Amino acid sequence: MEPTHLPATNFQDLAWAILLLPLVSALAITLGLRRNRELTTTLSLSAVGIGFGLSVWLFFLYGVSGERLAATPLSWMSVGSLSAHLGLTVDPLSTLMLMVVTGVSFLVHVYSTGYMEDDPEYPRYFASLGFFTFSMLGIVLSDNFVQTFIFWELVGVSSYLLVGFWYEKPAAADAAKKAFLTNRIGDFGFLLGILIVWAATGTVSFDAMAAKLKAEPGILGAAASLAGVLIFLGAVGKSAQLPLHVWLPDAMEGPTPVSALIHAATMVAAGVYMLCRVYFLLDLPAAWPAALSFLGSISALDVIAWTGALTSLVAGVIAIQQDDIKRILAYSTLSQLGYMVMAVGCGGPDAAMFHLTTHACFKALLFLGAGAVIYACHHEQNIWKMGGLAKRMPVTFWTFLLATAALCGLPVLSSGFYSKDAIFAAALASNRPVLFGIGVLVVGLTTLYMSRLVIIAFLGESRSEAASHAADPGRNMTLPLLILAVPSVSLGWLPVGAYFKSAIFPGAVTHSAEGFSDVFFEPFNHSPLGAFLGFGLMAFGLSVAFATYWGAAMDPMPGHLPRLSRALRNRLYFDEIYAATLIPLHDAVAALADWVDRWIVQGLFVRGISGGMDLFGRALRLVQTGNLQTYAFLFVAGVALVVLLALK
Amino acid sequence: MNSSLLAIEFLVVVLGLGILLADLWIPSGARRGLAYAAATGLLLVLTLHGGALAPGDDTAFGGMFLVDALANYFKTLFIVATIAVLLISSGYADRLDGYGEYVALTLFALAGMLLAASANDFILMFVALELVTVTFYVLVSFQRRRQSSLEAGVKYLIFGALAAAFMVYGIALIFGSANTTNFYEIASRQAELGKSPVFVIGLLLTLVGLGFKISAFPFQMWTPDVYQGAPVPTTAFLATGSKAAGFVLLLRLAYSVVPEVMARWSHLLLGFAMATMLYGSFAALAQRSVKRLMGYSSIANAGYLLLGIGATNVTGSTAILYFLSGYVFTTLAAFAVISRVTVQDDNDDISVFAGLGNRSPLLAAAMTLALVSLAGIPPLAGFFGKFYLFKAALLQVPTSPLFLVAVLIACVSVVLSLYYYFNIIRVMYWPAQDAVDRPVTVPMAVGISLAACLAGILVVGIFPSGVIGLAHEAVAGLGTPAPEMHVQAHHAAAH
Repeated sequence: MEPTHLPATNFQDLAWAILLLPLVSALAITLGLRRNRELTTTLSLSAVGIGFGLSVWLFFLYGVSGERLAATPLSWMSVGSLSAHLGLTVDPLSTLMLMVVTGVSFLVHVYSTGYMEDDPEYPRYFASLGFFTFSMLGIVLSDNFVQTFIFWELVGVSSYLLVGFWYEKPAAADAAKKAFLTNRIGDFGFLLGILIVWAATGTVSFDAMAAKLKAEPGILGAAASLAGVLIFLGAVGKSAQLPLHVWLPDAMEGPTPVSALIHAATMVAAGVYMLCRVYFLLDLPAAWPAALSFLGSISALDVIAWTGALTSLVAGVIAIQQDDIKRILAYSTLSQLGYMVMAVGCGGPDAAMFHLTTHACFKALLFLGAGAVIYACHHEQNIWKMGGLAKRMPVTFWTFLLATAALCGLPVLSSGFYSKDAIFAAALASNRPVLFGIGVLVVGLTTLYMSRLVIIAFLGESRSEAASHAADPGRNMTLPLLILAVPSVSLGWLPVGAYFKSAIFPGAVTHSAEGFSDVFFEPFNHSPLGAFLGFGLMAFGLSVAFATYWGAAMDPMPGHLPRLSRALRNRLYFDEIYAATLIPLHDAVAALADWVDRWIVQGLFVRGISGGMDLFGRALRLVQTGNLQTYAFLFVAGVALVVLLALK
Repeated sequence: MNSSLLAIEFLVVVLGLGILLADLWIPSGARRGLAYAAATGLLLVLTLHGGALAPGDDTAFGGMFLVDALANYFKTLFIVATIAVLLISSGYADRLDGYGEYVALTLFALAGMLLAASANDFILMFVALELVTVTFYVLVSFQRRRQSSLEAGVKYLIFGALAAAFMVYGIALIFGSANTTNFYEIASRQAELGKSPVFVIGLLLTLVGLGFKISAFPFQMWTPDVYQGAPVPTTAFLATGSKAAGFVLLLRLAYSVVPEVMARWSHLLLGFAMATMLYGSFAALAQRSVKRLMGYSSIANAGYLLLGIGATNVTGSTAILYFLSGYVFTTLAAFAVISRVTVQDDNDDISVFAGLGNRSPLLAAAMTLALVSLAGIPPLAGFFGKFYLFKAALLQVPTSPLFLVAVLIACVSVVLSLYYYFNIIRVMYWPAQDAVDRPVTVPMAVGISLAACLAGILVVGIFPSGVIGLAHEAVAGLGTPAPEMHVQAHHAAAH
């Protein structure tokens, strides 16, 4: 369907308002209100709160009706054949995503007023949070690649600021740097991909690109798969896929509400969102340039699907032997992001978006719950030093449990059940049984590590002084938990999957569930194999977890399987492998570059040239004596020169 | 005669006289109010200029006075700049004895600039420029008790007189050879006049006078000294209004009055443009006085603008208008900050900016934005201004390779300028020594003008197409004097 071009009407103003409100609040806080906590709170909460209200309005105005609206873009610059413009897309995909981003961001803002209460840098925190929300909304609303890339980098910067918020802690500063650099590697590929697509189609606008591709499917020629894979590299960085996943667990050094917002619900989802936005570029038959022709019939989607599946499996395995509550959740996020990427690769971007939406709710809830636990246990993050929290923190426990159920995919009573099943169905429909197998296997792993977490941290007896005095935090922290619990349980009962299907594939026939049993038990009818297998593995994981960890004072696994346990605890040595291979290589290149820079560039060019320039500048100053007679003489000499040269 | 064409100039003069009168009754403590009143009055004039009093293209005073799109564009620019200067000066009122006169003189200078934008005759051009220059003699030396201000005033006076002498001599030669001083009549006979050495020398001497106004090499000697000695609001006005007045006349001469003669000198113009840029950028490298640095920066920017004059194509004239619009906002924002930072002890050494990032994040951010724009970093106004000027010059490369050399030299100059602009930014955020932790106050009026200038930098830079469109319309009429207007001018002269 062609986008309806409307003049500047209210949808455009609404979208601009949603985008700019957090930026305005961040700027106001940075420039003027750094010393005023109350005003900071009011300003940032209302900016995001109003943004959420407007997003809901926009969703019901335009999202539900399925209209595709393209705002008349503001022309920004045009250089040669590249014309860049600022444009906002309002379509079903972006309006729902807007609700997710502003909604979770708002709850995280509310929660942070409690969690960050005692931090001396409170206003800086909220300014960074606002700046991040602005950047993320920019990606969601962007209607072209250039704008996406700009906001993509802004998200990277704001995440750097937030991960390194406690910059005086070396671990936090290092983690921020690691996250930024790792992302830059992916972004480099992303930029190359954008350039290839722009060179071939002559446009950076998504709509124009889709139209060109439709009119002339072979327009990308032999570069089709390469472009797809390069664009995917951007998502590999941002959505922390293998092998660039190493930054996400380290990024847990940031404040916990930040982890909920950035590393669970929004930023890491940006990669998946972008893949769905440009799905038409990925879904092309395999075609490689001559140098890469050995890749044969492997298409971009194959690469994407396998990367996602492997990430999902590896992260799920590593999570089993982590002891830090946030790191467990971080690996679980990696694993779930792997699912989404796999879904895109299996031709199911709608399933990916569905899972992204449900995951945003329950994973944000899990992180905020973990935050409440950490807060109550005086910043203790090791689950073996908790225990017995269920009795002392009932609100946190029950909401955490509901979110865990959703993450594991408990049938009917959780949203994750429906979205995961959509992914399994997509894997089966695209005829990739191995990927389907991996997907179902990961359900078992997920249940195992999450049950381990719940059993050790919340059940049994307290294992530390701090844990025995823990209590539910104040209302501004429990309220977001309760609110998030609602969609975590119930989102699957709504036709979100069908909504995304018609959003991404306009005109596609969607399976519409009607009647009680069909709505609630749809997966058992729709793709029974995935649903039943998943349920079985879930029950298996649960029983293994209970058998191993119920009443255990310490982890028995290092005793039984020492080698495997050590490998998992060292996160399968990814960091070590990079340290042993890439980093020496990088250091060698850096040393060479340093030598060239120091002796040739700095010494010969810069010192030489700048010394010369400096000398010349000083000489010129000598002319500028301040003596009026000299000046007047030079003026008249100048006149003579002009007349002489002109009449020559 | 259609004297309603002069409504804007008339209103500004009346406003100035009103301020002078009001000054008699206003107690000395409340003189700041005069600046607010003048600024409000100008805002009103600006609205009238854009609305009810917007005149169509016409001439008055026997073809001496011309209103066209170009004149209107520059008039808007002059009025906007003056409003900002008045607001900046209101924060400086305590340092200027007899502040009421300062405000009135500023308005008279504006009247001179407005007349210059409409000048269609060498005589009116001379009178208008002298109105500006003579007013500036007083504005520059306004801090009578400060020796440096007086010294700057005397220097400006002597240089101004020198330049005026050359210019009036030049005009006499032009009249002697052409028997007229009207732009239209000279334009219609330029092929014949261009062969007369007397006319050519006359024209060159007139250009010398304009070269002084825009501080082009080799007539730039006065700039750093005067910029440094004058009170900050005056410096801001010199750098924006006075310079733009020189450029509107240069533009008219080069594009409309004697384009054929000027085309012969394109190599000469380029040569002086390159010398101007390099002189400004090199001499700025070792500067520690921020006002002096802005003086050199102003010279370098005149060099870039001369590229547009030399290019003699529509892109060039459009680029000049666009560049000046962005430049006015950028420079005024920078001077608004300088005025606040240096006001306490009249010291403009770069060290007073040390640690400004902590003392006043707002001012530091504003200064950074202005300097980054001056340095020409996208997406701010300064980047696109230079971009279009360079583009105009590159379009002329097929006619002469010297244009390519000029653009390369301009790039060198831009790189040099990065060094001295970013040096200020470095000092503001990463001071070498422990900075005085003295907070800087920003009065409301200065804050408003600063905010408006920053908005200007961003809007002109981020949405260049709007301003480019306006500038393009403004220069569309250049070089094609409407024949019926020409006839009208004759008739009027005959009466």
